[in-house]
Amino acid sequence: MFNLPTTNIGGPELFVLEFGDIVIYFSPYTAALFLFALIFTALAIVSRPEQQVDITFGGDAYYAKEVDLNSLQFQRFMAIACGLATLGAMVTGDVFNFTLFASMVGITNIGIVAAYRNRHVLNAAFQYGIVAMLASVPLFGGAAIILANTGTLSMWELFTDALVVPIIAKAFLVIGIMGEGMAPFYVAKAEITRAQGAPFILMIHVSSLLLFLRVIEIVLSM
Amino acid sequence: MKSNQSIITRISATISRLENLTGLYALFLVIVVVLGFVTLPFITYHGDQLYPKTLDPESTLDPYDRGGVPFGTTPVKAQYPENSPFVGYVTTYLTPFSQWLADTTHHMGTTIVAHPGGIIDEILYNTRGLDTVVETSILFVAFAIASYLFRRDG
Repeated sequence: MFNLPTTNIGGPELFVLEFGDIVIYFSPYTAALFLFALIFTALAIVSRPEQQVDITFGGDAYYAKEVDLNSLQFQRFMAIACGLATLGAMVTGDVFNFTLFASMVGITNIGIVAAYRNRHVLNAAFQYGIVAMLASVPLFGGAAIILANTGTLSMWELFTDALVVPIIAKAFLVIGIMGEGMAPFYVAKAEITRAQGAPFILMIHVSSLLLFLRVIEIVLSM
Repeated sequence: MKSNQSIITRISATISRLENLTGLYALFLVIVVVLGFVTLPFITYHGDQLYPKTLDPESTLDPYDRGGVPFGTTPVKAQYPENSPFVGYVTTYLTPFSQWLADTTHHMGTTIVAHPGGIIDEILYNTRGLDTVVETSILFVAFAIASYLFRRDG
């Protein structure tokens, strides 16, 4: 049973972990993504936030932006939660489990930026929050269509040639991940990076990039 | 916006505005959903479901009647039965009061305290346990964000 049906994209399996019907697997591809997420989670745990300084143009004055302890702790907590959700999404072998991890990444991304008081940042976070909320419909809808059409959710079965996943379910999954991880929506990201606290903000970018890479692997393998 | 600008400049100016982000995503979504409606007749329902569900309107536990025999062996379908050697054992059952309520009235299934056991609980807690963990984590994170935002000005 535990031979990865398709090795074209992810490579051969390295390690398998069974949680009942949810069988987690590491292939060279997912293991590399997992390692990236692990490194960035470790960085979020140990690093201190950057101290931003605004310099007034044409003068000597400057503003140092303070990061208070409360918001630092909360952002670190959210960044670590985001990293853990990304770790899960990278290696899970079940479509519904993947969508759950993806929506957790979306919520923690909002949590990271919600701690700021800058009006522009909060405005961007609000817009992104609406997109993430909207995205959960196609995300879980895609998983539901897959279950209704094939009768299973396990990627081990779906990756075989015997089961054909409808193209619309794949499109739903991709557009759902686009909304949750806001991978192509760099407008919101550019506003969000105005916020201080570099390592925690960067977790948003890392998680969305890794999620997008993973969903492409899943969609191509199915 | 000036009228002599090229079409690419205008598109770029529109999508670079943060306020248009939600509308842009909604547009993508509507396009995909319309495509979904077009291809809907070609999507067939797979009869042999891994997680079957039946509703019995006559049952006093409806819509939460999940079948299964209390303290017996309940057959549960699983994708990989060898990974769940104790499937069929971990069920939740009615308390004596709930059992009395279910026997005498028809309102047991509509109360929040309804906890009849059976197949769905097996699926949730045994074969798909990791899903349950992640779902609760999502709720916890959402509550953490809400409570942080509520308390920080206080």
